[in-house]
Amino acid sequence: MIAQYALAVFFVACAVGIAWSSAPGAARGGAIVAWMGCIGAVALLVAGAAGLGGAAFSVSLWQVPAAASLVVGVDPISAVFLLVTGIVLLPASLYGASELRDGALRGRERPFSAMLLGLYASIALVVIAQDALLLLIAWEAMSILSYLLVADGGDGGDRAGAGFLLLSMGEAGFLAVALAFAILGVHAGSLDFAAMRGAAAGLSPELRWSVFLLGFLGFGVKAGIVPLNSWLPPAYEAAPRAFAPVLAGATLNLGLYGILRLNADLAPPAQAAIGLVALSLGAISALIGILYATIDDDLKAMLAHSSIENTGIVVTGIGSGMVFLAAGHRALAAIAFVAALYHLVNHSVYKSLLFMGVGAVESGTGTREMDRLGGLARGMPLTALAFLVGALSICALPPFCGFASEWLTLQTLLRAAELESTGAKLVFALAGAALALAAALAVTCFVKAFAMTFLGLRRDGEGYARSTESPARRLVPMAILAILCVVLGVLPPFVISALDGASRHLTTVAGSDVLVPPFFSDAPAHGDLPAGFVSEFHDLGAQTGDGLVPGRGLVVLHRGGESNPVVFAMSMSYTAPVLLLLLLVAAIVVRFGLARGRSVVRRERWAGGVRRLLPEMTYTGTGFSNPVRVIFDSVFRPTTVEDTRETVAEHFREAIRREKERVHLADRVVFRPVGRASLALARMLALMHHGKINAYVTYAFFALLVALVTMGTT
Amino acid sequence: MKAVDAATIKEAIEARWPGQASCTFDVSLRLNLARCERASLAGLCREIFREWGFAFAGLVVEEASAGWDLRYMFYGGAAEGWLHVLTSAPFDDAVVPSVAIAGVPAADWDEREAEDMYGVHFEGHPRLGDFILHDDAWQEGVMPMRRAFDAQAALRNRRPAEDWHPRRVVHEPGAFVMPVGPKFSGITESAHFLLETVGEDVIRTWTRLFYKWRAIEKLAEGRLFHDALAIAERFAATTAFAHGLAYCRAVESIARVDVPPRARLLRVFMAEIERLRHHAGSVQEICESTALAVANAQAGMLEEEMLRICGALCGHRYLFGLLRPGGMLCDLSGDACRRALEDSRRVLERMDKLERMLRISSSFLDRIEEVGFISPATAKLYSLLGPVARASGLARDLRREQPYSGYESTRFEVAREEEGDGYARLRVLFFEARQSLGIMEQALAALEDGPVHASFSPGAGAALGWVEAPRGGTFHWVRLNDEGRVARYHVVTPSFVNWHSFHLAAEKFAFQDFPIILATFDLSVAENDR
Amino acid sequence: MSQWVFKGLATGIRTTAYPGGEERGKGVTPGRPLGGVFGQDAERIASRCPSQALTAVGGEVTVDETRCIHCYRCAREGAVGLAWKNDYEWARATGTARILGKPFERSLHIIVVDAGDCGACLNEVKQLNNPYYNMHRLGFFVTPTPRHADILLVVGAVTDHMKDALRKVHDAMPTPKRVVAVGACALSGGAFAGSFACTPVSSLFPVDVEVPGNPPPPLAILHGLLLAAGRR
Repeated sequence: MIAQYALAVFFVACAVGIAWSSAPGAARGGAIVAWMGCIGAVALLVAGAAGLGGAAFSVSLWQVPAAASLVVGVDPISAVFLLVTGIVLLPASLYGASELRDGALRGRERPFSAMLLGLYASIALVVIAQDALLLLIAWEAMSILSYLLVADGGDGGDRAGAGFLLLSMGEAGFLAVALAFAILGVHAGSLDFAAMRGAAAGLSPELRWSVFLLGFLGFGVKAGIVPLNSWLPPAYEAAPRAFAPVLAGATLNLGLYGILRLNADLAPPAQAAIGLVALSLGAISALIGILYATIDDDLKAMLAHSSIENTGIVVTGIGSGMVFLAAGHRALAAIAFVAALYHLVNHSVYKSLLFMGVGAVESGTGTREMDRLGGLARGMPLTALAFLVGALSICALPPFCGFASEWLTLQTLLRAAELESTGAKLVFALAGAALALAAALAVTCFVKAFAMTFLGLRRDGEGYARSTESPARRLVPMAILAILCVVLGVLPPFVISALDGASRHLTTVAGSDVLVPPFFSDAPAHGDLPAGFVSEFHDLGAQTGDGLVPGRGLVVLHRGGESNPVVFAMSMSYTAPVLLLLLLVAAIVVRFGLARGRSVVRRERWAGGVRRLLPEMTYTGTGFSNPVRVIFDSVFRPTTVEDTRETVAEHFREAIRREKERVHLADRVVFRPVGRASLALARMLALMHHGKINAYVTYAFFALLVALVTMGTT
Repeated sequence: MKAVDAATIKEAIEARWPGQASCTFDVSLRLNLARCERASLAGLCREIFREWGFAFAGLVVEEASAGWDLRYMFYGGAAEGWLHVLTSAPFDDAVVPSVAIAGVPAADWDEREAEDMYGVHFEGHPRLGDFILHDDAWQEGVMPMRRAFDAQAALRNRRPAEDWHPRRVVHEPGAFVMPVGPKFSGITESAHFLLETVGEDVIRTWTRLFYKWRAIEKLAEGRLFHDALAIAERFAATTAFAHGLAYCRAVESIARVDVPPRARLLRVFMAEIERLRHHAGSVQEICESTALAVANAQAGMLEEEMLRICGALCGHRYLFGLLRPGGMLCDLSGDACRRALEDSRRVLERMDKLERMLRISSSFLDRIEEVGFISPATAKLYSLLGPVARASGLARDLRREQPYSGYESTRFEVAREEEGDGYARLRVLFFEARQSLGIMEQALAALEDGPVHASFSPGAGAALGWVEAPRGGTFHWVRLNDEGRVARYHVVTPSFVNWHSFHLAAEKFAFQDFPIILATFDLSVAENDR
Repeated sequence: MSQWVFKGLATGIRTTAYPGGEERGKGVTPGRPLGGVFGQDAERIASRCPSQALTAVGGEVTVDETRCIHCYRCAREGAVGLAWKNDYEWARATGTARILGKPFERSLHIIVVDAGDCGACLNEVKQLNNPYYNMHRLGFFVTPTPRHADILLVVGAVTDHMKDALRKVHDAMPTPKRVVAVGACALSGGAFAGSFACTPVSSLFPVDVEVPGNPPPPLAILHGLLLAAGRR
């Protein structure tokens, strides 16, 4: 009930907001977004929480004559996504409101806020749709609204081109998805999810593969899986600052939602091969995404590529879950899905935070290029801190949230030892290696991003005069997300317990049963755990904190099976306070013991004795990541645009001009050849269109002949 | 390349540039003096350098009564001798066409120095300024070598440029400039390098020297000729004897005094023992730069032993206090010299062993082979000197081509390698060390009793003294006035010439090769900066 | 690679006995001039010196060691001359020197700055790392960064262009720090004392240990470092 009321409040808020923006009046777009957006986000949070708490429902909205009934409902998966969306939309609305207030979209704030609230509504609708028709309608609405928001209100980048790419690839994906739902619907006889779920067991292998490929690739476009990610970087770059956090934190998740819904829920795989394909594509996306992120020097484009990486990690988790499900290891599948969902939650939080940070930097200095930024930590310390928290989270460093989910994903891949097929184990191993490499590159990438932007010398002259700390209305949403990063990182058992419903829905095994043993009670709730384990960990002090924190315990424990008795354990809830305590003790010892009576003197930085250290004498982002460019040259395959040397009198070198251009791997390997082939085909076919009437009449005649013959023979 | 002979140069010049250039030939000095107008300067120098194959030694600017006298000094082999091209420019029109742009790239730095020190403008030269007097330390137009220069006023009124930026030629997105120095590494001379890079490898090196500029040429002016020897010996004291000898030769040339034979042979002996010691030190530098620890220690021991041999022989490890214009300041006994020779022979044997071991150490060779490449064409165009030039096929040695002080009768081979990389330079060093010992033996064998000093009183005059110093040929131009005081003292050192080409060797390499390239060149910043 | 290991082992130990004992090898020091009484010849002898290191007062010649540039003219030019002493422990702590403290006695980090030296002093400092002197056994190490340095060792007359850099090095060093000026040029300008582009180190900041000589031999520099470390 609560969920239904909350959702009603949400839709009402959106409708009010849209009406308010359209009606002539004194309210400014920013205020509308702020108020209605926040109300709506809170409503979503409540709905999600209620849904996770077990209050699933399903309501048939409207019976479309001769087609299907439009059903909405909140089941555990929807609940997770509603919760995530709510978490992101609350600060994002505040942030968007502040950007609108600063006049980023001069004069078009009200249409923008209307479209934004419409987008909120369509996102929620996608997630709560319980039948294919409603989902597709909502999906279309979401696509078109995102296109409008990017192409119409964008700043910088090639807005029209980016928007077009977003829309066209999105529509291609939509067609694939529609086809997949059509197959399922025809097979099940109805477009209801419940009906499809029931009829899924009877799908033939060919149909299963087609549904998987169509659905995975169709939703994969939205998620940004390589090689379907060409639209993502330009669109994120062109997206207006007010919209980017929502784009990255909310709409990206919808692609993953679709994959989960279609390929793991409605039509779960029966063969491991399907899951392996998903797994491989996920690992490849992760690696390719972070490679391109590391060498990019525009902050927003870098974050876009990094989103591709994180999508890859989530898809890897989903894929491994699918493999384990197909192989019958439901407990392991539960772990995998928990990992994937956890990472999705984390990613939404820290990616929105990072986009907000980048937006703040851009507002403050007028540029997003790392090679022209630097030394901002002095002028904007709080923004720098927020960005740092986001960067540390995305690098998966404890005690921030990214660590728990990435740890779980990698552990899941290690569990491939339980599988029988050697081929599957090989794929898992390679995927694990790819993810490990991606994790290392992610650290490189974000060290560079943070250092080049906030540390070092200031590089660009004019824009910096204005770079003061971001106003509070921008810092508050960033602070909310930053705190969430820490909380989600320090309480993994709590998060895992919250995701129980979703994992039970997908695999009938609750994640926390497998991962978070109840050390606080003597009788283990799950028969899997021998009593000896419990008492051992009890003795180790795992019972500390009983009653203090919500959830089942402080330790995430991950065991192998009987044949593989290994244990992986982590307790961020334990580590974080101990870490703080140790730091405090160290600070006290240094301050009152070692450094007593000594003063700290600040002197100029040492730079080899140069007279003046100028900004051009410090490392640029390009220089920092050049080793990566060189090592992975075979992936990037840059083509030389220019490489000239000019001299005066053969002896005085005047200029050395070098420039290289890089085409994304996916474009180079997939799209450009396909494009060229299609154009070639089209040119061949165009030979038919030469304008001679007589020939056209002949064509018509032959077509008629063929039709008559066919009709005659059937 | 036309073949010319010292005797025929006069006709060749006067035929090519009738009315614009005249030439006189001094047989005893084998010196051709060609005077020409400013307008034909560039063409004449180009012909001499490119067509006739002379090498460019240096440019001397002197403040005469009516204007600036410029002397471009060229030298060839034994047959060609010396060729000085003289021109002048009035004070109110101190513009001379740039020879560096017209075909003699070797004159590049000399012209820049003259512009900084005297304010003579070299038309067409694209890089004047910010050479010796750094723009971020001094404003333009200071001209310290002019007679009217007031040091205290200049120091009070200096205005460094506030907006100095390093010159950059690389236009690539993300390119930046890595500064190295002036204080860098462990125990190195102070020099500043700006490495243009995009992060992985260095595309272009800018050398910014003259952080150690002590204005010795200005300091020497007004000193008694005997006192100025102290400056000549000490401005680059790792090759003190060679520089002191060049200075003494210049003064002896002015005074036309004959140095006694014993002094001449002792001078040869000491110059070669200095060369042996210097090359041991160079080998040690190369081993240290490649981090080959035991070889570094072994070579370091060899250098220390050579220093001790020198110290035991004459009192001072770097051979100070031996020279005097006219001969030697003190005599050295034949026995002492023989002891020194035997000790040096033992050192050389160990040096040979070291060379054999280095030649089979593949990790060492990997680091110095194909590193810091100087092409033979570059060596010619820049008139490089010393082991650096010989490793790039330019087998020029002043002891052979313009012999002096007793080298006329010594027999030795001039090293020659073709590759022009670090390994070639290392091989040249070992080869020359062996040759040095041979020369020392010959000098000692020919040593006879006799005086070691011929006293004289010099009148006014000017002359060039040259010596093949361990790093290459060094040229000291001295002008004395009637009181025997120095009126002009200009030094062109082998490091000055070779540093000019360093940036070409230090292009397109990885960062970690930089100290190795530096070590294989073994250039002295003190020698360059003066 | 093993050839190097055997070579090193076969060479044995060549390190000097100093500071535990006395170094008796030949050629380890250029010596220094001793003042003396010369009566009428004093003026003439004192005028031989090109760097004004000798003063003749009432028939006695005194030597200012910080100015001596080792040209030997006072000894060799003429029949009568100064005597020279072949020792090497001639470094001096100036009045302002305070010993660094016990922790630094056996572990000292030195930053060597070439402020305009001719090459000889720097070369002598470099010899401290060769097996004959091996200052590592005494706990002296050279560091390229001033942040880790305890001792600033300056060689060369400080040129105009290097003044800023030298000051920056000195400023960047944390306390406690000491300055050791090595060589006549660093102490008085040496042979370049009259040049407008040179100045002694003491004009920039106080010098704690002076090591005269031109160049001072490695043993004298070692003596200076031992003074700075408080072991002499």
